[in-house]
Amino acid sequence: MALYSYSWLILFSPLFSFVVIVFGTRMWDLLSRKSVEATATHEEKEEAEEESDIHEMKVQGPKGEDQTFLDIEDPKVPRLTPGARISAYLGIVIMALACIYSWILLLASTGVIPGFPMPAGGVPVFSYNWFTQATASYTLAFRVDNLAISMMVVVTTVSLLVQFYSQGYMERSSGYARFYAYLSLFTFSMLDITFAQNFLVIFIGWELVGLSSYLLIGFWINKRAKPDEDRLSPASASIEAFITTRIGDVGFIIGIMILFTSTGTFDFAQLATRVGTMDKALLTTAMILVFCGAIGKSAQFPLHVWLPPAMEGPTPVSALIHAATMVAAGVYMVARTFPLFAAAGPQAFEVVAWVGAFTALFAASIAMCQRDFKRVLAFSTISQLGYMFVGLGVAGSAYGPGPGMFHLFTHAFFKALLFLGAGSVLHALHHATHHEEQRMDKMGGLAAFMPITAITWLVATLSIAGFPFFAGFYSKESLIGLAFDSGHYAIWAVTLFTAGLTGFYMLRAYILAFGGKGGAWGGLWGKAELYRGEGHPHESPLTMTIPLVLLAIASVAAGYWFGIYGYLQPGASFDVGRFFADYKTWVGVVVSIAGLGVAYAIYARIEYARIHEYVESHAVLRTLHRILLNKYYMDTLYNLLIKYGVLGLSHVEQAFDMYIVDGLVNGVAQVITLFGRDLRHTETGRVQAYMIGFFGGVAVLAIVVIALVAYVK
Amino acid sequence: MDLATLLFWIVAVILVGSALLVVGLNNIVHSALALVVVFAMAAGIYLLANAEFIAIVQILIYAGAVTILILFALMLTRTVNIQTNSNPINKYWWLGVIISALVGATILFAVTVSPHFVTPASSALGYSAHNSTCPLPPNNVVYIGNLLYSPTCYSYVLPFEIASVVLLVAIIGAIVIGREEE
Amino acid sequence: MLTLNHFLVLGAVLFCIGLYGAIVKRNAIAVLMGIEIMLNAVNITLVGFSLFNTAKPYSTYLTGQIFAIFIITVAAAEAAVALAMVISIYRKRSTVDVTDFDMMKW
Repeated sequence: MALYSYSWLILFSPLFSFVVIVFGTRMWDLLSRKSVEATATHEEKEEAEEESDIHEMKVQGPKGEDQTFLDIEDPKVPRLTPGARISAYLGIVIMALACIYSWILLLASTGVIPGFPMPAGGVPVFSYNWFTQATASYTLAFRVDNLAISMMVVVTTVSLLVQFYSQGYMERSSGYARFYAYLSLFTFSMLDITFAQNFLVIFIGWELVGLSSYLLIGFWINKRAKPDEDRLSPASASIEAFITTRIGDVGFIIGIMILFTSTGTFDFAQLATRVGTMDKALLTTAMILVFCGAIGKSAQFPLHVWLPPAMEGPTPVSALIHAATMVAAGVYMVARTFPLFAAAGPQAFEVVAWVGAFTALFAASIAMCQRDFKRVLAFSTISQLGYMFVGLGVAGSAYGPGPGMFHLFTHAFFKALLFLGAGSVLHALHHATHHEEQRMDKMGGLAAFMPITAITWLVATLSIAGFPFFAGFYSKESLIGLAFDSGHYAIWAVTLFTAGLTGFYMLRAYILAFGGKGGAWGGLWGKAELYRGEGHPHESPLTMTIPLVLLAIASVAAGYWFGIYGYLQPGASFDVGRFFADYKTWVGVVVSIAGLGVAYAIYARIEYARIHEYVESHAVLRTLHRILLNKYYMDTLYNLLIKYGVLGLSHVEQAFDMYIVDGLVNGVAQVITLFGRDLRHTETGRVQAYMIGFFGGVAVLAIVVIALVAYVK
Repeated sequence: MDLATLLFWIVAVILVGSALLVVGLNNIVHSALALVVVFAMAAGIYLLANAEFIAIVQILIYAGAVTILILFALMLTRTVNIQTNSNPINKYWWLGVIISALVGATILFAVTVSPHFVTPASSALGYSAHNSTCPLPPNNVVYIGNLLYSPTCYSYVLPFEIASVVLLVAIIGAIVIGREEE
Repeated sequence: MLTLNHFLVLGAVLFCIGLYGAIVKRNAIAVLMGIEIMLNAVNITLVGFSLFNTAKPYSTYLTGQIFAIFIITVAAAEAAVALAMVISIYRKRSTVDVTDFDMMKW
């Protein structure tokens, strides 16, 4: 058990690296900037300036003179200081150690390494008693069990590969050390969620993940918005992400509170035993509210709006956070609280499954028409997360969290690969064109320039589409089959159709970027002439391609962990033989290949410009295209809602504050002033006026006294 | 009606009439002269009340000194239009009428109609001696003299001394205030 | 028969007339004259009480008259000082109209 009980090292090592980077090596980096400025060569300085995306802003100064400000979007330094390099090495080394340890734990707990069986309820790893009241005690408790190990492996592996990749992607960036600090903080937050034993710890991790996401999306502080490409500035995107997930957290908190007040505990194990006594309707409501938190964090409908703008962050961030880990936190949380969902009424699981299914179809339909490379991947992520929730929703107690988590496991690898590959493409295009280029209509035929990226991207595309024998095939088709087997026929139909759409839009993206009509392999592999943009792109350095290759291997191999069902829920099993014999599996394969085929037929055979012309010339297609391109106008709807709803309310409140509250205070002052201003006229300075007052008072008093004395007995 | 009452009514009517003239006339010098009549008639009332000393003091001080004082002040503060407009009234005269009527009515009510007022039977004209060393004063002047100055009998010497201090202060004050500026 | 009420009613009436004069008149000396009338009214009232005093003792028999003596004394002193002030004000401002003496107003 010592093997498991030392796993707190995995949890706290990224925190350690965060602290060391922030207070140590980054300080060193900042202090040594001056010497770099002094010793850098002229070419290095020129290169740095060129890559920094500097814009000049001419404004009128306070005295009317013209001033020029430099807006540096992506500040680069001529050469990285040792402090920055060591920050990166520290992060990578620590993450590598954590990754190796977690793989060892995985191998030990599955039995590959004999002699280390996992006890039934997991192994408590760390516990800190925050404070105790008479009725409840609040502890920060961490525990490792099979579910945690499966998630831990994903988090540490993807984090390690992303950190390794960032050495190349974020080369010579001015915020290099800061980036690694934030990545370490994020990994710590994600592991906090993974190891959590009670709702308090999960919530802490939840919010920390939101914070890290905010910091990482808004990493390029001064970057501007590009309204003509429908892109926000990273600062706005990070705020949108934070606030939208926060809205989901309201439901989450209310759900946690309902559970706490009904059962008196936050602990998952205790809750699982105590919720049997709870009122079923209340429990169902509480679990649906808890699911709201997952809706926010995992970008399901209607809180999905933050994920596409979150692509404004650097691509390694998109790979880590918005593909593999943070958005999977919602799925993990539902998997963690699976016994609670099972004990609630069937409506809880129905809500989970239907939200997932609807979101999958919704996002896939939008992804078909997007023109921005990363945006296709963003909507793809939303869609695949929907799949995971479908998996969790239809599984029931027989299969447990297995199906959903299996898809999470495989998805992490191929989605991270897709994003890192996209990052490689964007990095190359940035070098070639000297400005940021993300539109697919300026790409094409890149396979000729970047073969490794193209091959690994193709592997990931086939995997996500569910092409037989790749990882996505096993996780997705088993999920879709499970929907049918458990009686959810409508969900089965929806997910099946979405699988076809997935194949379509992924291959479309691939062909638009890497292939084109007239290329090799019938258009799948591009030629240099097919490139629609400017400049000469070339393949990325080794630090970026090695993770791509590793992830490509994982995108195939991860699907072969058939024991995952039994690993997560004792008694469940993934019957491979039945899987291959089932007709539904092959129906799914046919639909996916049909989607791939349609994309191939359209995009590899016809030129992009002609396709665009065709769509524009037909009214129905044009309208459909416009609706899908504008994401069903959800963004516009939310903008209007906030502008007229939220801001309107705030105007009402401001009016209340100004006129009533301030009016009251000012009114009191004015009454007093009124008294002063008008009562002073009684002080005329003339004695006779005073005598009138005096004797008038005497007369009145005398009358009063006489009346009282004489007539009141 | 006996003689005392008749005389009282005559004196009272002249008194009230001249008081009304004091406040009613437009020429302030005429008002001052009416004031003299008021003082004189007041002295008559005192005589009717067996207060001969007070009557004489009234004539001496009020009708003599105070009147001269007022007339000198009138001379020194001469205004134009002394015939017609030297004694005007201000614009709140109606308020003055109401207030004085109210005050008057209250006092009259308290004095005449109120059931709590105790009316003495008649004028008492007998007093007893204080003790053997203070003989019965033969007349009002001696009585008041004893009451003011007597060192042996009961006396109001202390208020008398204080009144003299008051007079001293008043003299000095009047001189200082009334001085010409250098 | 002469009763106490005669003196008291006379005193009340005179007091009211004096009050009216003090409130309503604009010439400062006329105000002072009104005050003198008020003081005389009080004196008449006090002397009236002294006349109908039923207390026998030597010391309290003429209380009203003693009171009246002192009032006359103080009234004279006050008239002197007041008229000196009026003259002084007249020298400074050439007016004795009390409605012009509003230096103490707000």
